[in-house]
Amino acid sequence: MTAHFNTKTSISEVGSVKIHKSCPTPHTPSDTSPHIRYIIMRPILLSGHERALTQVKYNPDGDIIFSVSKDHVVCAWYSHNGERFGTYHGHQGALWTVDVDPTSTLLATGGADNTMRLWEVKTGRLLKTWEFPTSIKRVEFSADGRQLLGVTERRSGHTGSIVVYEINPDVEAEQADEHVLRIICEDSKATVAGFSYLAQYIIAGHEDGTVSQYDGKSGELLYNTQVHEPDVQNQITDLQWAPDRTYFITASKDKSAKILAADSLEVFKTYQTDTPLNSAAITPVKDFVILGGGQAAMDVTTTSARQGKFEARFWHKIFAEEIGRVRGHFGPLNYVAVHPQGTGYCSGGEDGYVRVHHFDKPYFDFLYEVEREQLQAQSNL
Amino acid sequence: MSRPAGRTDWAADDEEDELPQNQIIKNKDGTETIITYAVREDGKKIKTTRRIKKSVVKQIVNPRVAERKHWEKFGQEKGKPAGPQTDTVSVAENIVFRPTANWKASSDDKSEADKKKTDLKQAKIKCRICSGDHFTTKCPFKDTMGVADDATPAEMPDDAPQAGGAGAGSGSYVPPHLRGRGAGGGEKMGGKYERDDLATLRVTNVSEIAEEQDLRDMFSRYGHVTRVFLAKDRETGRAKGFAFVSYADRSDAAKACEKMDGYGFGHLILRVEFAKKPDGK
Repeated sequence: MTAHFNTKTSISEVGSVKIHKSCPTPHTPSDTSPHIRYIIMRPILLSGHERALTQVKYNPDGDIIFSVSKDHVVCAWYSHNGERFGTYHGHQGALWTVDVDPTSTLLATGGADNTMRLWEVKTGRLLKTWEFPTSIKRVEFSADGRQLLGVTERRSGHTGSIVVYEINPDVEAEQADEHVLRIICEDSKATVAGFSYLAQYIIAGHEDGTVSQYDGKSGELLYNTQVHEPDVQNQITDLQWAPDRTYFITASKDKSAKILAADSLEVFKTYQTDTPLNSAAITPVKDFVILGGGQAAMDVTTTSARQGKFEARFWHKIFAEEIGRVRGHFGPLNYVAVHPQGTGYCSGGEDGYVRVHHFDKPYFDFLYEVEREQLQAQSNL
Repeated sequence: MSRPAGRTDWAADDEEDELPQNQIIKNKDGTETIITYAVREDGKKIKTTRRIKKSVVKQIVNPRVAERKHWEKFGQEKGKPAGPQTDTVSVAENIVFRPTANWKASSDDKSEADKKKTDLKQAKIKCRICSGDHFTTKCPFKDTMGVADDATPAEMPDDAPQAGGAGAGSGSYVPPHLRGRGAGGGEKMGGKYERDDLATLRVTNVSEIAEEQDLRDMFSRYGHVTRVFLAKDRETGRAKGFAFVSYADRSDAAKACEKMDGYGFGHLILRVEFAKKPDGK
């Protein structure tokens, strides 16, 4: 991010919600013992959706959260206070996915009405609709915002595919009708996909637990590897990038999440949990990953909320050790998204709520003993 | 918190049947009191008084972000005032999040079921037949070997928890103090005296005025009687009409059974037979 930050002061509008937050905060900064630090978070609950959330996303500046759910509506929220500033209307079916371009001017969505749509973020105006024979499970902009990919579902005679469109970042410009690239997934349909650094590769996670690497220009399959358990039930449910897009994390129904390198598809880290995972995110600033999941939505009624494991799990990215959990949802977490500056995260659940969490100071202070020693050694040099 | 001004409003409210103006009162200590009126679904008017403290949080942000903050609202939010709307935004309860280096599910919250399971695992399980670490009912020797004779009542507290509702294999519930009592089942009323069902006679058609001592005298003729149990009515203290007589030796019992069956006692003819286990074994 090269934009120079003005010292322009903006006074945030202080609504009543914000004010409650600023009431005497119960966290105890006096507690400085190295291992016991409490972070008390007061999540903001966004209840603008009537049905299960499917994806939530921060824009690159982290000031806006976009959320899509099965109720056909896209919502845009200010992340700092949870104020909803707009909704995008037009989709005729459940929405599966949303993504915003790097300048926060264009928004792409895809859903079960077999369309992928492009919106103007500021006004909610529908700019473009692409129609497909099947539903769109995932959309993602490339890092420069010039390309947009969509993952189409496999259904009755149509194979799953990944389509790529050239995007003109100008709002008023006419967008191309025809895709520039179409990758057919013959063996196993792709469930998630994304652009690696410089859009050099397109990485896709498949239904059968494999991850494949395609050439970003030609669409040629370069490499395919079995990463997660090879079972139809163990599809890869999420793929999120590290900030520099050189590595990514996958979440799978086989209860594990893995970090892979974008160019070699080598598995760096594995995070084995006890529940099917729907989402995994890598946090900037701190070396953590956040995993979200829980029992499949259809089984939920048979268990109590406690046993459903509807918690966001924090794992240390490097030591691959669980460090804590955040409760709150009463349905499985369908998506977790991290603030691009690492100051918070939000999760969208099957229960229809988005919970926005802002990290407190102790979150950033938390260090492993070895990390602390290393810092000590560095400062002594 | 209600103020005189508010009260006059209430009065006006009654006459004109419309809601009074919302009020914002600035307090001396810098807080504000906001009084709002609304009509609830059931038609009742409600007055909400909120006292809030405003604090301005200055944040230096990217100009792009600052600009976006002043965007006009659209869609369902069109025309709504700035600030979070109460219908879509609320603040959840505080959440304690404590990152720890050796975090374990057990340290935070463990489900009840898990806890029970580990409790059960930790409990000492000892088979009463072969002293193995399994339940007596699961013992591979349960058909070929009897329960070890040294299963004295003193040992029972140890055994009791694992026997659980299983009731030592008979399938029916067995109260804790009776668990682990040998072959299970049988006529349990005699408590600890009744060890050997094979030498116990059931005597029915006993006269109401009979006493235990009478029975003991009669039955002692055929051998050593270890126990006599005469069922009595708890309130009247009279015999209920049946009794159990146990012998030390089965052959004595058989002889007594033969001789005493049909014996006249107190206007009635006794009926004597070997006691049966309730499950018919």
